[in-house]
Amino acid sequence: MAQTGAEDLLRRLAPQVLGAVVRRYGHFDTAEDAVQEALLAAAVQWPSDSVPDDPRAWLIKVASRRLTDLLRSEQARQRREDTVFRWTLPEQWVAPAADRPADAGDDTLILLFLCCHPALSPASQIALTLRAVGGLTTAEIARAFLVPEATMTRRISRAKQTIKASGVPFSMPAASERAARLGAVLHVLYLVFNEGYASTSGPDLHRGELSAEAIRLARVVHRLLPGDGEVAGLLALMLLTDARRPARTGPDGGLVPMAEQDRSRWDAGAIAEGVALITGALPHGPTGPYQLQAAIAAIHDEAPSAEATDWAQIVALYELLLRVSDNPVVALNHAVAVAMAQGARAGLDLLAGLEAEERIAGDHRFHAVRGHLLEMAGDRAGALRCYQAAARRATSLPQQRYLQARAARLAGDE
Amino acid sequence: MKYMILLYGSQQDYDALTGKQVPGKPVWGPADFAAMGTFMSEFNKDLTESGELVETRGLTAPVHARRIELANGVPVVTDGPYAETQEVLAGYWIVDCESFDRATQIAARLLNCPGPPGAAENAVVDVRPIADSRDELEL
Repeated sequence: MAQTGAEDLLRRLAPQVLGAVVRRYGHFDTAEDAVQEALLAAAVQWPSDSVPDDPRAWLIKVASRRLTDLLRSEQARQRREDTVFRWTLPEQWVAPAADRPADAGDDTLILLFLCCHPALSPASQIALTLRAVGGLTTAEIARAFLVPEATMTRRISRAKQTIKASGVPFSMPAASERAARLGAVLHVLYLVFNEGYASTSGPDLHRGELSAEAIRLARVVHRLLPGDGEVAGLLALMLLTDARRPARTGPDGGLVPMAEQDRSRWDAGAIAEGVALITGALPHGPTGPYQLQAAIAAIHDEAPSAEATDWAQIVALYELLLRVSDNPVVALNHAVAVAMAQGARAGLDLLAGLEAEERIAGDHRFHAVRGHLLEMAGDRAGALRCYQAAARRATSLPQQRYLQARAARLAGDE
Repeated sequence: MKYMILLYGSQQDYDALTGKQVPGKPVWGPADFAAMGTFMSEFNKDLTESGELVETRGLTAPVHARRIELANGVPVVTDGPYAETQEVLAGYWIVDCESFDRATQIAARLLNCPGPPGAAENAVVDVRPIADSRDELEL
């Protein structure tokens, strides 16, 4: 996923080309394969021949030809098997057409809506989005998610079958469901970002390519829907979080908690961009969870040190966030902020209330936070037990090593 | 008076035109294809200059066709409804000319289109008068 000029161009054009081909000929599933082959052909030919004058038109032409070939063999096979492919015209197709002609930007959005269709599992939504909209190859996606390529191939082809079977038209979702569908798109981008930032498995702490890809796609959506506060909020949240990446791992590859990070290594450009985005979005209309999380990230990023952070403001934002999202991780972060603002005991009291919450009580983060607050409160033996419990439950190697190191430090002092 | 000139081709003919080897079909080399292009441009240019051309269009390969029909009262779509040997409409011209005979003369010229040996053997061109009004349909 190196970003060379030609590759950049191909990745940017990928959804436009797929959109144009599907809009013209239909067959989302087969067209997606055809576009992948056209992208591959371009990646091979352009560096040696030179980039064509109109790269988009070139890709559409090559992909359309390839689609014709693929359909030919597909239909010949179906005929041999005596099964002609028939599908029922969905009800909504009989509805009046849209009142304005579509453009390439619409196609990218429509593809995002299609790939994040509620009929698909989140894992399939992510895989399909990265391939059809991100222009990544199956091999690249498989590598990023640490699964065998064959597994990812099956996941993507199943996802495409589901889309095909659902008969969703290639058009914008109806206005009544647009907000919910956009929510699904943003959630997928958020998951891709997180997968890159805090890997849930494997030896590497972050697979930065995924975060970079999520940011790139969030930028695309923001450009297409500049007035949507949650889109701006999500992009800001990603930028403000990713800005800390350079300081997040130590020279040994281990995890460095935010309080101990060298803030001079944070990416000032990304912080400035994120702060500007969230500052522009907040005054306009309903403040959703991404905007609130971005606002919290902005306070952290602008603070000169952990101690000099405006924790009271962060507590207030978490309380707003708790009202709009029923997420135990938010409750956990709220407890940390309260501990920083009002003392470890206040935070520990909140954690006690979370113990009955099944979704978080078994999570390594719950135990790690409790260990941290107990350590702050001076209960070293309790903290040691919590760090050990957290290390047992953590799935990523760097997280396990970090937690073991915290535990070992306390054990060594005993 | 308006006439429609219709040209037919099967999926196999389309395949052969793109340079593929199709059993039982002549192979179109790059020179054959170029000669056809020149011929068609000339043909259209002449019709434009004489003021007889209303419109001409070629259709994409039959594999891209969709057929919609009712099944138990519900519209059902079939992708690629034609067998690959089935001749279907491949392109048309609409000409506005003085008589059916003139339209026939125009259409007949299409049979002179160059191609590899054997390509024109089974070619047919149809000409049909376009109804000017509902009355002419004699319904």
